[in-house]
Amino acid sequence: MTTAMSPFAYAGSPDPIRDDLVAGHRRAWERLAHPGTWLDGAERVAVAMEVRAALGCTLCRARRAALSPYAVAGNHDSASGLAPALTDAIHRITTDAGRITRKLVDDLAAAGIDDATYVEAIGIVTQVLSIDACHRALGLPLEPLPEPVPGAPRRRRPTAAAAEGAFVPMVKAGRLDPEDRDLYGGRVTGNVIRALSLVPAEVRALRDLSAAQYLDETEMRRLGSSRALDRAQIELVAGRLSALRECFY
Amino acid sequence: MLLRASGTISGQELDLRAITDPRAAAASGIGHAAALVRFVDASVAEDSDELVAARAALRTAVGPAGLVDAAAVVGNFERMTRIADATGIALDAPVEMMSADFRETLGLEGFASAAQTPRSGRLRNRVAGVLRGLGFGLLRLSGRRRRAR
Repeated sequence: MTTAMSPFAYAGSPDPIRDDLVAGHRRAWERLAHPGTWLDGAERVAVAMEVRAALGCTLCRARRAALSPYAVAGNHDSASGLAPALTDAIHRITTDAGRITRKLVDDLAAAGIDDATYVEAIGIVTQVLSIDACHRALGLPLEPLPEPVPGAPRRRRPTAAAAEGAFVPMVKAGRLDPEDRDLYGGRVTGNVIRALSLVPAEVRALRDLSAAQYLDETEMRRLGSSRALDRAQIELVAGRLSALRECFY
Repeated sequence: MLLRASGTISGQELDLRAITDPRAAAASGIGHAAALVRFVDASVAEDSDELVAARAALRTAVGPAGLVDAAAVVGNFERMTRIADATGIALDAPVEMMSADFRETLGLEGFASAAQTPRSGRLRNRVAGVLRGLGFGLLRLSGRRRRAR
């Protein structure tokens, strides 16, 4: 289901949603609808559809229950016309990310889907999943997906992206292209921010949504909080969620 | 590590086991920790009845704005954890050094994604211990100054 109407009205929410969170979610939906770096608007929205399909996917459920996620073969309950290998990656990121290995990136490459497309897909999957999780936690209905905006992807790969031991190449702070100098806020930054740097637009998207859902980077560094929750409470929520997802990072 | 650092800078001794053991939440030193942990657990488990109850309990404990903050942080870290796992990044070297002690205590080394971060040698662990003491000492000092202002 898609809509072109003003999204995230939160009219039915019993809890007042702060303005910066509404604005952050709206910007995320606008980015989702527009052509990206390697995927066009229709493909980006299709990735979002797969995120929602994955949560009810029979194959994903069977794989999650299996000792190895590669032990169970089959077809995903797909909601789009995306390539099967990309659909598989989207479903794995959504439902079983903790068991992703380099094999997934290798399988994508063998199917003709390059690492930058994978990184853009990670950015989209995690953005949609993040906003959907927030809605579920608040007991709110999921926002209808936006109408795709026509246009071609930009197709620009950072010149200094290099392998550093992760599954995908990344760009170091001192090696950013001139148009990406703003990418890390002019600082050396953590791997989790650099993780998507093969597609700089996804790093910008990550920073923007995190500032609305978590904290802006100044507050993050100062170990403060201007939210209703104090900093320790915020970090407890973050830490508990990460532990439940068995995320070492 | 940010939970520990936020406790250090605010002059509180926090029990980090609240992250991995819900039974430790109530006495962790973190306000309304048990209600927060229950809410996170219910958000991750696909149990809608428990989520309704946990949401109501958290709203009572921290108010509607606090509940919205908690839900937004849940959403944000559903994102961050998947980015880390799907890209296979290693823990940043400074974080790896500063968190080595409690990673072991909390059992985080057993997570599958820990394999992406190379294990430290004995010498590096000793140096890390010294740097950790120094780092958290500086944070304590900074926190005292901040609170004195």
